[in-house]
Amino acid sequence: MAAYVIRRLLWLPVTLLIVTFLTFTIARFGPGDPVSIAAGQFRDPEVLAQVRAERGLDGTLVEQYVRWLGGAVRGDFGDSFLQQGFTVNELIFPKMLVSAQLGFMALVAVFSLGIPLGLIAARLNGTWIDPFIISILLFLQAIPVLVVIPPILWLFALQFDLLPVGGWGGLVDIWWIGGVIAIPIPDPHLYIPLFSMSLGGFAGVARLVRITALEVQSEDYIRTARAKGLPESTVQLRHVLPNSLLPVVTVVGFALVGILEGAFFTETLLGIPGIGRFTFEAVVSRDYDVIMAITSILAAVFVLMNLAVELTYGWIDPRIRLGEARS
Amino acid sequence: MTTEAVEVARPGAIGSPSSPSRELWLRVRRKRLAMISLVVIAAIYGGGLFASVVAPYSYTEQNLDRGLEGPSADHWLGTDRLGRDMFSRILYSSRTNLVVTTAVLISGSLVLGNGLGLLSGYRGGAIDGAIMRVGDVFASLPGLPMLILINATFAPRVVEFVRWVEDHTFISGLVSSGAASYLTVFAALSLFSWVGTARIIRAQVLQLRERDFVMAAQATGASPFRIMWRHLLPNVSNLVILQVSGTMGAIAGSEIFLSWFGVGVQPPAASFGQMLFEGSGARTFQANPHLLLVPAFFVTALMFAFNLFGDAFNDAVRGR
Amino acid sequence: MGGQNRVLAILLGVLAVLVLAVGGLSAVLLASGSGGDDNGSSGGGVTTGGGSSAGVDTSPASGRLRLASGDPITLDPHIAGDALSAEYIVEIFSGLMTIDPDLNIVPDLAASFEVSDDGTQYTFVLRDDAFFHTGRRVTAEDVKYSIERASSREVASPVALAYLGDIVGVRDHFFGLADDVPGVEVIDERTVRFSLDAPKPYFLAKMTYPTSFVVDQQQIEANPRNWTRKPNGTGPYELQEWRLGERIVLRANERYYGGVPKVAEVLYELAGGSALTRFENDELDVAPITVNDIERARDPSSDLAPLYTVSPQFTISYIAFNTNVPPFDDVDVRKAFGLAIDRAKVAEVTFNNMLLPATGILPPALPGFTPKDKTYGFDPDAARAALAASKYGSAADLPPVVITEVGGGAEGRIDTQAFLEQWREVLGVNVEIRQTDFATFLADQDAGRLQMFNAGWIMDYPDPEDILDLKFHSESALNDVSYSNPQVDQLLDQARVDRDPEARIQQYQQAEKLIVEDAAWLPLYFSQSHVVVNPAVHGWFEPPMVIPRLRFVEVVR
Repeated sequence: MAAYVIRRLLWLPVTLLIVTFLTFTIARFGPGDPVSIAAGQFRDPEVLAQVRAERGLDGTLVEQYVRWLGGAVRGDFGDSFLQQGFTVNELIFPKMLVSAQLGFMALVAVFSLGIPLGLIAARLNGTWIDPFIISILLFLQAIPVLVVIPPILWLFALQFDLLPVGGWGGLVDIWWIGGVIAIPIPDPHLYIPLFSMSLGGFAGVARLVRITALEVQSEDYIRTARAKGLPESTVQLRHVLPNSLLPVVTVVGFALVGILEGAFFTETLLGIPGIGRFTFEAVVSRDYDVIMAITSILAAVFVLMNLAVELTYGWIDPRIRLGEARS
Repeated sequence: MTTEAVEVARPGAIGSPSSPSRELWLRVRRKRLAMISLVVIAAIYGGGLFASVVAPYSYTEQNLDRGLEGPSADHWLGTDRLGRDMFSRILYSSRTNLVVTTAVLISGSLVLGNGLGLLSGYRGGAIDGAIMRVGDVFASLPGLPMLILINATFAPRVVEFVRWVEDHTFISGLVSSGAASYLTVFAALSLFSWVGTARIIRAQVLQLRERDFVMAAQATGASPFRIMWRHLLPNVSNLVILQVSGTMGAIAGSEIFLSWFGVGVQPPAASFGQMLFEGSGARTFQANPHLLLVPAFFVTALMFAFNLFGDAFNDAVRGR
Repeated sequence: MGGQNRVLAILLGVLAVLVLAVGGLSAVLLASGSGGDDNGSSGGGVTTGGGSSAGVDTSPASGRLRLASGDPITLDPHIAGDALSAEYIVEIFSGLMTIDPDLNIVPDLAASFEVSDDGTQYTFVLRDDAFFHTGRRVTAEDVKYSIERASSREVASPVALAYLGDIVGVRDHFFGLADDVPGVEVIDERTVRFSLDAPKPYFLAKMTYPTSFVVDQQQIEANPRNWTRKPNGTGPYELQEWRLGERIVLRANERYYGGVPKVAEVLYELAGGSALTRFENDELDVAPITVNDIERARDPSSDLAPLYTVSPQFTISYIAFNTNVPPFDDVDVRKAFGLAIDRAKVAEVTFNNMLLPATGILPPALPGFTPKDKTYGFDPDAARAALAASKYGSAADLPPVVITEVGGGAEGRIDTQAFLEQWREVLGVNVEIRQTDFATFLADQDAGRLQMFNAGWIMDYPDPEDILDLKFHSESALNDVSYSNPQVDQLLDQARVDRDPEARIQQYQQAEKLIVEDAAWLPLYFSQSHVVVNPAVHGWFEPPMVIPRLRFVEVVR
């Protein structure tokens, strides 16, 4: 087992190398480059060629990649084209922080509402309330983020003037009472994005919890299996666990991925300075160094998480003998 | 054979009177919600399939004097800014969605995802390792930004190639219908979406391959391919269908997302993404809510139906 | 029952791991990521008692103006090529010449200038009360340094040659063939002389653009990487604070030679949603009006109407035909396309008349503009006749036509779709739309691969040369339609060096007429600026191009 883990960990840098090189190639290979975009209306090919040379955009693909790699391993991801005079690190870390904060709050919301809802649904299994709850949640999950935001914005920001139309104010705001007492409250900029981002997650978590709780209650085929003489542990391992595990991992995985993606629309429509929107801006303006930095970080996180998940698989069900070949 | 083995895993024999799949289907049929969802999906996609017959107007027919009208006798769902009939555009959008989703589903999820998942789980060892590592690479690439780049880079060349093929063979109509420009996106989306399915199938196969009936089949000298095709595949078919319903939703979602960047069908061809954009924005909503509400209704209905069906199917698999 | 507990334990464990992971990540990022975006150290530099010239307003600045905008791409005047960056730069920095609110080209840092008889030498004398924000006096050395830096190889500015290329030696300096620019000479501490390669009258207009603005040599040499975060300029405002993605605060320069700006502080909000909503919430003083709100703004009974103003802009939107590529190598085909579309109607329906249908190539308020409509109007019969008269004869014999445009989806223009329908209805031609992203579009345009495309042009200085010569001269690098008309070339060449302003204008007008007839461009619309302004703000105006304007504004609450 330990050997397996070490082998997988050794793969991490290789995977990263492949991912970054692929990204680099696709980005460079594609039409257009940041100099061309920064040039504005005056486009003299000679001038642009000169500028590209001075800004390090000449040389073969491999040469440029190696140059980038040399900086990247030291944590220096280069300078941004989109925002002249700022390093990539200065730009992406604050944005990642904003997205992480938002995503974290969304996860908290999803779990704290999803778990109780799932338990209630399981408790009321057999009545009409159980499928009703699940159906509502599935309905909420079905609405695209793009559709959720305009009506909510219109309702709360334009009609009732309760919430700001967009922007970001951090996680916490201070509510002053009488100019003397300060109470920390969640920042009002949070509510609309939080709402739109967590809608999809409730359903997944609630269903999962419901199913798990139901396993406790629905003992029919488990009882049958036991009557057939199977040992309890086999019943648990063979039926309950595998069916419960896959959804757990899937939900968590999809929740995180969904948060990163759905975050794009949320961030764009609400003017939130997050990493989702910034990634696409960088792609569209071919801000190579930004694209590479974000890809590298995301890839590293993903691969590590993946490994953790697989190890959990193997630990939970020793019957899944990882790494062994079929004889 | 023990009872639970009959219910959960049985070699070969799909479709026989008391086969597990048929029982499963009967269970599903009893669930009203699942049936309703199937009907909804069939209605929306059916409308798309027969759009050219059913639609009262063409999707490009505009009337600049009758823009932004609400529902009326001529235009059941109103008109958009250029006076085009919303109902017709919805039908054609549904067609676009159907084509995209099906194509990506087949190439990515079904073929690649299941095939590689089966292979990886069954063979294990180096092959498993290799496939999973390649999967790691694809999964850790930020798919959607990459898609935009890939589309920008390769799509023009692909279209040129298809044009060349059309010129030299009897095939025609691919480029003009927009299918050619979509090929790149199909391929790329498939490449990025097979990993999730593969992992799940692989996990199930890892458990299944230790089972008696598999070992029995091996003892009789069956080739690996035969084992995978006749024995393993039927038993993961539940998962496959589950994956299909889940992935269809995700792919349909991606289509909307990509439309934001102009990746996908080009205007004036209709797609849900395009229609949603024309209506998005708080102030647009305030002025002309039907621009957003009409496509939103259909998209939500479609996704909801996918979700409901998947959930009901999941329940049925578990024997409830 | 161990299994159930185990599963629940796993669930909680996963949740715990998630919380820890995201929380930990946030903490790490908080610790490492800060410090990059907060540029706000207060204070505008040393204030020594600088005397202001007689006759200039010396009353102190007051009040605060709140505007909505975006992050500039750069605050380095020598690199900036976009309007957004220019908006800030023209307030923080200044150059020898500038444009006043009436669009006259007037001296700025220069007190006076002289042009030699042959028109190739411009001698500027600097003001004696021109200081940097830190109090250092501006000298001719600073001017020479600035020009040389702007055109240097190291700075590699994409716009340097465009604006400074007429000065002798700039080209060589840019490509690294020379160490300095001999065309800029320091005569004495306050006098500098420019030598041009030809007597070009639009030289002064180009000098109004940021590329020739004066920068502080000492600051740049001391802090080459980060000097733009707190630039020491010569303009009416100092950069007090710049929080990336949040706000920019400009503070009035009390010693500004043109008179103390009336507004003490200008706050730009860079984040946040709808500007109009914030305007109505009294969070902003000026807000743009979009298509969705224009009805309200025009409705005399609404509260927005009295605050609403419309102003012309030096922006033209057009469809271009590559005259090298069939079928647009035939002028009759181009004419047919132009006659088949009803631009006025489309502008009404898709833009709610917020854009004016173009009447030519030169936009309103530009010297040389004439209101007479020189373009091909909507005439379906004439369109069909033109197509029939072309060498293709009919729609069926045309090769496939593809129009390329930027954007798509959310940014998609809907007017092109309307035109498409009209081409189909009137001419029977099925044009295909191809939407790409900006980078791809530029690459294709540069390579000459586009058959037909949608584009726009924003004037950089108020001289017709900036559009007619640059875009239509057969030898111009910016001519992206392969347009070549010897008559037009001749007129343009003449106008380039003709020192009689009236004659120049006439030549440009004749050229414009020919160009529009040749239909390499289908001029579509002229842009307008639609804003609402808080009544507390006096003197606000929307110039047709970016010029310094904040110091003419007053806020009285």
